[in-house]
Amino acid sequence: MKQINLGIIGFGNEGRLLLLNSKKLKTARIEAVADLSVKARSRARNLGIPKVFEKYDDLLKDDDIAGVIISLPNFLHEEAAVKSAEAGKHILLEKPFARTVDEGEKILSAVKRNSVRLMVGYDMRFDPVLKRVHDQIADGFFGEVEIAEATNISGGPFSPRNDSVGPVKVPSWWLNKELVGGGALMDLGSHLIDLFIWYFGQVSSVDCYLKYMFRTELDDAATCILQFENGPVATVKVGWFSKGYIQSIQVCGTAKNTLVRLAPESTSSMILKGIVKKIGRGKNDPYSLELQHFVNCLLADKQPQPSGEESMRSLQAISSAYRNAKTVM
Amino acid sequence: MSLVSFVRAQSAEPELLKKAIVESLELIKFDFGKKAKKIVIKPNMCYYYHPSTGEVTDPRFVGALIDVFREKLGASEILVVESDASAMTCKNAFSMLGYDEMAAEKRVTLVNLCNMKYRVVNKTIRGRDFKFHIPELFSEADLVVNVPKPKYMEVVKISCALKNFYGCNAYQNKFIYHKVLDDAIVAINESVKTHLVVLDGLVVVGKYTKRLNLVMSSEDPVSADSAVSQMMGLAPKSIGAIVLAAKKGIGISSFSPVGEFSYFKSQFPSKTLKDDLRATAANIYLQIFSEH
Repeated sequence: MKQINLGIIGFGNEGRLLLLNSKKLKTARIEAVADLSVKARSRARNLGIPKVFEKYDDLLKDDDIAGVIISLPNFLHEEAAVKSAEAGKHILLEKPFARTVDEGEKILSAVKRNSVRLMVGYDMRFDPVLKRVHDQIADGFFGEVEIAEATNISGGPFSPRNDSVGPVKVPSWWLNKELVGGGALMDLGSHLIDLFIWYFGQVSSVDCYLKYMFRTELDDAATCILQFENGPVATVKVGWFSKGYIQSIQVCGTAKNTLVRLAPESTSSMILKGIVKKIGRGKNDPYSLELQHFVNCLLADKQPQPSGEESMRSLQAISSAYRNAKTVM
Repeated sequence: MSLVSFVRAQSAEPELLKKAIVESLELIKFDFGKKAKKIVIKPNMCYYYHPSTGEVTDPRFVGALIDVFREKLGASEILVVESDASAMTCKNAFSMLGYDEMAAEKRVTLVNLCNMKYRVVNKTIRGRDFKFHIPELFSEADLVVNVPKPKYMEVVKISCALKNFYGCNAYQNKFIYHKVLDDAIVAINESVKTHLVVLDGLVVVGKYTKRLNLVMSSEDPVSADSAVSQMMGLAPKSIGAIVLAAKKGIGISSFSPVGEFSYFKSQFPSKTLKDDLRATAANIYLQIFSEH
C-alpha cells in the first residue's frame, strides 16, 4: 500500500493531537516534526518521531516529506505556508487560514505558483452529523432553508485544554491583536462561518456586533448576521467569556428544521464516545477524518477541501464583519 | 470565640455596598479609632474569570472598601496586591478584571508582588520545609486586609481567607507546593498576618453561581474560614488547613456569628454528596479516557 510521509510544523497542543490522529492512518506517517521549543522537540523524540528539527526550513529541505501540517500561531501562518509551497510541499494549514485577506492572497499565490495542494483545517466539515446536515441541505431535505444559527460559547483560549482541569496558561501572543488577527470572531467564528459557507454558498453581506468585556484589544463576544446570495440569513454567535461551553447548529427550512447540539454532551454520550475511542473503534473523530481526507486526496492527486480558495471566502466574510462591526458596551 | 459578621448588601451599588461594609465591620466591633495610614488589600484574582462568575473578587467591592478605609481610617496610601501565578499574570488580570480602571478612579496603586523587594522566609510545618518570598510591604503596612471569595476547591475542600493569602508568596511557581497545600497554606499564614478579613460574597459560586449580596467580616482568618465552611455545608474540623491553622495559633476555629448567618447558610448554593460523587466520576473518566 502506498504511503506518504508528512511533517508537522509546530508541535504544541494541536500538533500533538494531529500526531495522535495520524496513528490511525494506514497510508501516511508522521516522519518529521519541527519546533523551536526544546521541550516540544524532546516530546516528539519520545513519541518516536524519526526526524526532529528545530527550524522548519530544515524540515522543508527533506525530500522524503511530501506534505506538511502547519500548526503554528496565526502570525506565522503566511510565512510557513509560503515557504512550504516554495519547497514543493502540499499543505494542511490549521485554521484560521490567515489573519487578513492580504495574507491569504499571498498564500494562495505561492500555492498556485508552485502547483501544490492546500487544505485549511476547518474540521467541523468532517463531523459526521454536520456533514449529514450539509448533504440534507443539498438534497432538499429541509426544503428552502430560510434561517440558520450557529453558537460556540466557551472560555476560548482560557478554557481547560486536553482534558485538564483548572486555569491554563495562555501564551502572550493570544492576547496581541496584531499577532492573532482577531478575537472570538476570528478564533471560533471562522469555523462556523466556514461551515455555513459550505452549506449555503457565497455571503452577500455581513452585520456584526462585538463586545470587549475583558477590556483587551480582542473581541470576546461577537454576533454576526450573514446574508447569503442564495437566500438564507444566518446568525453566528461566538464568545470567549464563559466558564460554560455550548455549541450548536440550527437549520430551519420550509419543510423541516433541525437543531444539532454539539456541546454540552450528555454524560452517557460522553462516556460511550470515550469507550469507543479507547478501544480504537472510533472512526468518526473529525480530526482523524480531516487528516484522512487530506492524505487520500494527495494520494489520488485531487484537491482536498476546504481549499485555500474556499477558505478565502470565510476570511473575506470575517474581514468584512470586522470592518462593519459595531461595538456594544 | 471570634466574631464573624454576615451582612446583606442591598445591591452592589457603591453607596449601598459601603453601608453594608461599615455595618459588617461595626458588628465585629472593628476599632475605627485606630487610624491606618498604609493599607494593603489582597483580593482573589486567581484567573481571568469575570467577577460575575463568583470566582474572583469584584473590583467594585474593593473600590467600596477603599472608600470606607479613606473615610473611616484616614488611609493615605492604599495598595491592592496580587502575585503572578503559573497560569495567570497580574498584568493581564489587573486589566481584564477591571482593576486598572478601579485603581485609576480610586487613586490607589496596583502592585504585582513578584516585582517587589522581598525577604526569604523559611517555615517548617509537620516536618515539611517551605520557602517563601515575602514582600517587605506586608510588614510596612498598618493594616493588611484579606478580601477572599468563598469557593469549593479540590484537595483542600475550600478556598477562602487562608487560601487567598497563598498569593502573598511572590514566587511565581507556587504550584510546587500543591501536593502539600494544607501545610503550605498554614505556612504562608504564619509568615503574613491577616489583620482583617472582608469577604466579597456579592456573587458566589458553589454548585452553581448565585448573586448572594453577602459582606462578611472578621479579624480572625481561621474563624472566617470556619464560618464560611459551615455556610457552605462543610464541617470546619474536616478542613485540614483550618484545623492546622488553629493548632498553630494563627486563629481560633470556633466563631460567634453576628448578623444573618442562618439566612446565608440557607441561601448558599451548597454542593451535595451527589455532586461530589459526580465530580469523582468525572475525574475517573478523565483518568481513564484522557489521551494525553
